[in-house]
Amino acid sequence: MKNDNINHAEAAAAFLQDREQARWHDSAIWWVRQKRDAQAKQLPEWEQLRALAQQIKAHTLSRLDEYLEQFQRNAEQNGVTVHWAADADEHNRIVHGILAAGGVKKLVKSKSMLTEECGLNPYLEQRGIEVIDTDLGERIVQLRHEPPSHIVMPAIHLKKEQISELFHKELGTEAGNNDPTYLTHAARANLREHFLTAGAGLTGVNFAIAETGGVVVCTNEGNADLGTALPPIHIASMGLEKIIPKQAHLGVFTRLLARSAIGSPITTYTSHFQQARPGGEMHIVIVDNGRSDILGSDDFSQSLRCIRCGACMNTCPVYRRSTGHSYSYIIPGPIGSTLGPSRDIKKHGSMAFACTTCGSCSNVCPVKINLHEQLILQRKRAFDAGTLKPVKKMGLLAMRFLTQHPSLMDTGGKLMRKVVPILPQALTQHSAWSRPGRDLPQMPAQSFKEMWQARQKDKP
Amino acid sequence: MSSREQILAKLRHKRPHGPALPDIDAVPFITFADKFDAFATLVRNLGGDAVQLQPGETVAGIVAQRWPQPGRVVDVTAANPEQVSAPHDWHDVDIAIVPGELAVAESAAVWVSHAGNSQRALYFLTQKLVLVVPKDAIVDTMRDAYARVSIREHGFGGFISGSSRTADIEQSLVMGAHGAMAALVIFV
Repeated sequence: MKNDNINHAEAAAAFLQDREQARWHDSAIWWVRQKRDAQAKQLPEWEQLRALAQQIKAHTLSRLDEYLEQFQRNAEQNGVTVHWAADADEHNRIVHGILAAGGVKKLVKSKSMLTEECGLNPYLEQRGIEVIDTDLGERIVQLRHEPPSHIVMPAIHLKKEQISELFHKELGTEAGNNDPTYLTHAARANLREHFLTAGAGLTGVNFAIAETGGVVVCTNEGNADLGTALPPIHIASMGLEKIIPKQAHLGVFTRLLARSAIGSPITTYTSHFQQARPGGEMHIVIVDNGRSDILGSDDFSQSLRCIRCGACMNTCPVYRRSTGHSYSYIIPGPIGSTLGPSRDIKKHGSMAFACTTCGSCSNVCPVKINLHEQLILQRKRAFDAGTLKPVKKMGLLAMRFLTQHPSLMDTGGKLMRKVVPILPQALTQHSAWSRPGRDLPQMPAQSFKEMWQARQKDKP
Repeated sequence: MSSREQILAKLRHKRPHGPALPDIDAVPFITFADKFDAFATLVRNLGGDAVQLQPGETVAGIVAQRWPQPGRVVDVTAANPEQVSAPHDWHDVDIAIVPGELAVAESAAVWVSHAGNSQRALYFLTQKLVLVVPKDAIVDTMRDAYARVSIREHGFGGFISGSSRTADIEQSLVMGAHGAMAALVIFV
């Protein structure tokens, strides 16, 4: 579970103390963005593909109730039990009920941001069920008792030395052996035992298909597949926005998901679960937990199109330089910075400001969510809800006053351009701008307005 | 009122405006002059390999040549494939030879699905996975693939592209996360 008292700016400042680690984090994630670009450029139809995905999702959201009902009918015809959960607590109770009825002592899980959102792991652990996260990155952060820092790469904030140390302690690997292949294969051997002895497997859901009643789970590791092929019980937890109308639509979404997420044409495994394995049972839990409220908001309903690829995080200059742990909501980056504040503006207001409004997130989003525009609207809500720190609030109020009084703005700007260059360095070093180790910019001789006016005059 | 009724009532009440469903077939997608070549080039970057069966060759022969001293081999393409009572019994399989129905050039993915849904653990437990795909069953894109696989469903079906992999430790790509450490696609 995440500490939702985190203030983004403060947590980011703490992360940036270790300059080397911060630089590594930035470049490692930028590399994923570049791989995404390379994949997108290989497809002449890329932009049309994004438009199709946007239209399919927008259409589905406009009839979500119908498609969910159709999905349930078809899933039940396949012999799957469908459950509905209004909130996180009901989701957790349902999952625990299924496990308790089956006498399950150990649950293997593949990656599911929804169960992170619901706090499922601690809920089950308090009731005596051993929960094993099986995605390698998720397993690493589970053993470290910390939340994932990225929705696709949960352990991207860690260096291999830290993981080696962790595995030495938890899995008995050789001390000081930092080889990623060695460490991955050690985890593989350890987790195989868990797959073979678990009483149930829980997966997230990438896509749920109304037409077939089936769900699709995409992984590179194969952990969702082992976790559902071996134990007799498969539980799939899904947010209610995961629905798409037809199986044919996967021909759009599977082309976008991995290319956007990791710069691969597809994930290793794209698995379609429609029935339990012989002798087994399959359950699907459909979760609302605030989503229906977002659906009713003209400003934010687009955020429900999200397919959780993480491309917006990888491109975000703020995310790359602050890590997911600086965001108070479980989903970080641009998409988290609208979903979190939509859920609870008091808790997650600072996330709306983790943004330069550059708009790059909106440009890479495979379902074309207007992310940066939503963040600006969330800022307004954060201000209105009184979540801003006093200094920031005063600054914004001063700025508002200035922009409403143009002559004062002109005079203020002129004064600043004259005074700042002659200030002693000791003073300028401690401004909010220069604190992270930056110099104040050179003051120009003229303001933009003056340059513009001069330019207009020179025109023939 | 149950949670189901409450949620559905809320969703009905809050419906945003939305467009009609687009015709996904109206947009031209990429095509490949040589689909096998595109598939094989890609799968080699994804921890796999692809070959075309030549006259005089057999699948068993190619597998034996590649892995001369295998452990337990299970060949589901054989006339009377081995059966197990629980999926866990496949846990020590070294090489699994399974039929693949369809291959996709753009993603190096192969569709696997089988009647009875009984072998699915084998695809993921085996150390090395051999997928045997008919030569002419190769399409350009995932859209073409979904148009064909929708015909048959057995409770489970999956696309498998190369071998199991992860980059969760410092973005270093490692083959063999949980599933097969090697994947060989043989077009026959």
